[in-house]
Amino acid sequence: MGRFALRRVIHGIVVVFGVTVVVFVVTRLIGDPVRVMLPLEASLEQRAAFAAELGFDRSIPAQFASYLGDIVRFDFGESLWQDRSAMAIVFEHLPRTLILVSASIVLAVVIAVPLGIVASLRPGSILDRVSTTLGLIGLSIPNFWLGAMLILLFSVTFGWFPTSGSGTLKHAVLPVVTFALPAAARLTMMVRSSMIDELNKQYVQMARAKNLPFMRTVGLHAFKNASVPVMTLTGWEYIRALAGFSVVVETVFAYPGLGFLAIQSIRRQDLILLQAIVLTVALMIVVVNVLMDVAYKAVDPRIKLA
Amino acid sequence: MAALTTLALLAVACGGDDTTDDDGTAVPTETDGATTGDDGDATTGADSGNGIVIAIGSEPTSLDPQLRDDGGERAVNDNVYETLIARTPEGELTPGLAAEMPTQVDETTWEFTVREGVTFHNGEPFNAESVAFSVNRIIDPEFNSEQISFFNTITGAEAVDDTTVRITTDGPDPVLPSRMYWMKMVEPVSAEDAGFAENPVGTGPYRFTSWNRGESLQLEANPDYWDGAPAIGSVTYRFVPEAGTRLSGLSAGEFDLMTNLLPEDTERAPNFASVQGLEHPHFILNTMEGVTADPRVRQAINLAVDKEAIANDLFQGFAVVDQCQISSPSWFGFNPDLEAYPYDPERAEELIAEAGAEGETIEIVSESGRWLKDRELTETVAAYLEAVGFTTDVQIFEFDEYLNRLFGDVRPPAIFISHSNELQDADRTASFELEIGGTATSHDDDEIHQWVTDARTETDVDAREELYRNAWQKACDEAFMLFLINNEDIYGLSERLEWEPRVDAKLLVKEMSLAG
Repeated sequence: MGRFALRRVIHGIVVVFGVTVVVFVVTRLIGDPVRVMLPLEASLEQRAAFAAELGFDRSIPAQFASYLGDIVRFDFGESLWQDRSAMAIVFEHLPRTLILVSASIVLAVVIAVPLGIVASLRPGSILDRVSTTLGLIGLSIPNFWLGAMLILLFSVTFGWFPTSGSGTLKHAVLPVVTFALPAAARLTMMVRSSMIDELNKQYVQMARAKNLPFMRTVGLHAFKNASVPVMTLTGWEYIRALAGFSVVVETVFAYPGLGFLAIQSIRRQDLILLQAIVLTVALMIVVVNVLMDVAYKAVDPRIKLA
Repeated sequence: MAALTTLALLAVACGGDDTTDDDGTAVPTETDGATTGDDGDATTGADSGNGIVIAIGSEPTSLDPQLRDDGGERAVNDNVYETLIARTPEGELTPGLAAEMPTQVDETTWEFTVREGVTFHNGEPFNAESVAFSVNRIIDPEFNSEQISFFNTITGAEAVDDTTVRITTDGPDPVLPSRMYWMKMVEPVSAEDAGFAENPVGTGPYRFTSWNRGESLQLEANPDYWDGAPAIGSVTYRFVPEAGTRLSGLSAGEFDLMTNLLPEDTERAPNFASVQGLEHPHFILNTMEGVTADPRVRQAINLAVDKEAIANDLFQGFAVVDQCQISSPSWFGFNPDLEAYPYDPERAEELIAEAGAEGETIEIVSESGRWLKDRELTETVAAYLEAVGFTTDVQIFEFDEYLNRLFGDVRPPAIFISHSNELQDADRTASFELEIGGTATSHDDDEIHQWVTDARTETDVDAREELYRNAWQKACDEAFMLFLINNEDIYGLSERLEWEPRVDAKLLVKEMSLAG
């Protein structure tokens, strides 16, 4: 188990290094960051001075060396937009996103697991068809549309929740629901199909034939075995939310998390801050992946590292 | 993961200040509406009653009013800081912190008398010394102000006595009063403080209260304001980039004012107000080579496009047709005698035939998402040009590639651009688009160049105005650009807020009031 975890961590480090290289190449070699960042009216002298200030006038290998050196120290430099440490800004926004995403995934699991299990017990029943239909609807709804509809209904029409911002529980409700519903839909489908697979296996049929207690059979044995694919999907939902959906949902709700910050840094053409955001997200994704792998191994020791 | 990273970084390259959300600012305040009335609401600190919330599209970069140049900063600082020269809502220059309009001592020296009895928010007196400090601070190369292009003719300032200050320039500079409309006056002691960018100290009608990074910023009325305490007691700025989310907040009663309401959303807002703004989308035509080098072709292009239809349909009436110049009536140097090329496709076809340009391909370069309806405008223009017999080759690039074309050695026959002139003085536009060597200039007309450079140092106001009028007259006759429209700025308002928007797009809360 220890070696397994270590190997996963090393894989993760390799992936993070790969991402840092991609980030560097994209920022330096595609387009001219200095030109994009300055106003159209800026003079040639101003452009040259700005390039020198950021170190963009040095050779690419020299830039890459100092970039790597800075990253190892977790120092991304000063945000061009806010004139303060890019990492400090990222750490200001990161907790808000983690809270939002974590609460959403917990809510999604809380909805999906009982719903999926109940649906799996009697495939084809009305309950099953209702939950499957709800799941399909949940899968088809785009986040931004769902968010906008929730705002229209619960903020503009009923006035129950604020349309945007953060800071109180009320502010979190609509974004969490917007995140959670589609994730819950996908998870419900997964729980249902995994459980149906397990329930049809011989050991469950045998246990049932022997009249072993129902909850023990379904809850302990079948669900435990069905939970590996469910855990995979839950982990992926977490990653999806961190990597992309937070951008959409946080923008719709003007919720000042990392996704919102990413869009701001793009609008401000703040490459330094964007680098810090992208690498932070990459690091978190790798960490989640490693944790997921270690968790499978704990649940099912037969799993081997691919 | 790599794909995600690449996408994110590519997005940077394409991102710009999408004018649809702004530079402006709009702010929401905590109103007494039911939606945000929860206790301890960290996001909206305005007390109910006579506080307002303004939703703006972007957060200030810094609250040092001399350092950066962005819409979010201006929206807030325009209420905290003041300038020697102000403007009326219609755009006319008028004394601000100066007791009267400045006088010229000699060709390169302007003398200002400052208003007496004005104090900064920290109790320090405002005087000639603080003016001299402010001027010398912003022009100091070490300070590295982003606003320096507004002030690069100024060489220094010196206090003569407590109420008199002299500002010197590197040559005759008739634009100086307009420049001083842009330069905010800071308090010398606090400006030296390391935390100044987060603790602004000005003379304005509002004082800084708090700033919740990423989310909101609060100001309160300055009871000691020299022109009398303002009617609105406090203002909360909320940073909401999406125009749709700002509109939802406005509809839900959370905000009293939002910036950059889209033309198609005006009917959904509780209330709205609009005013002719500063933005002039147009196409620069290459007059030096290719098919557009023939003035008849350029005139035909101007005749072929129905500008009225663009203003009325594409912009739903929230735009006015440009009078054959990249200038608004409120800007110095505007030529009121010019009229837009009429929509006359038949005459356009005749000119094309005379020039032997039937069926010629016109390459049109544009980008998408940086300026309001830029792509739609480009496609509409292309359709009009096709209708009179040109073939068009529309190329819409991401912003960096677009800049390659704009700054490249050979400018395309037609390239879309939108220009705004915050100083409202023709010099800024002329040095960008009319003077040979200007970033967006696409002609080699020595006469226009001479008029523009002469105007830069002409201190006789009437003579100077005449020079710009000549320049615009010739640029219009020769059709150096495809002149299109001047956008209106549209603001969403709550039903209780009363305010008339200004031509300079400033959101001066002291000019607002609450109904009832």
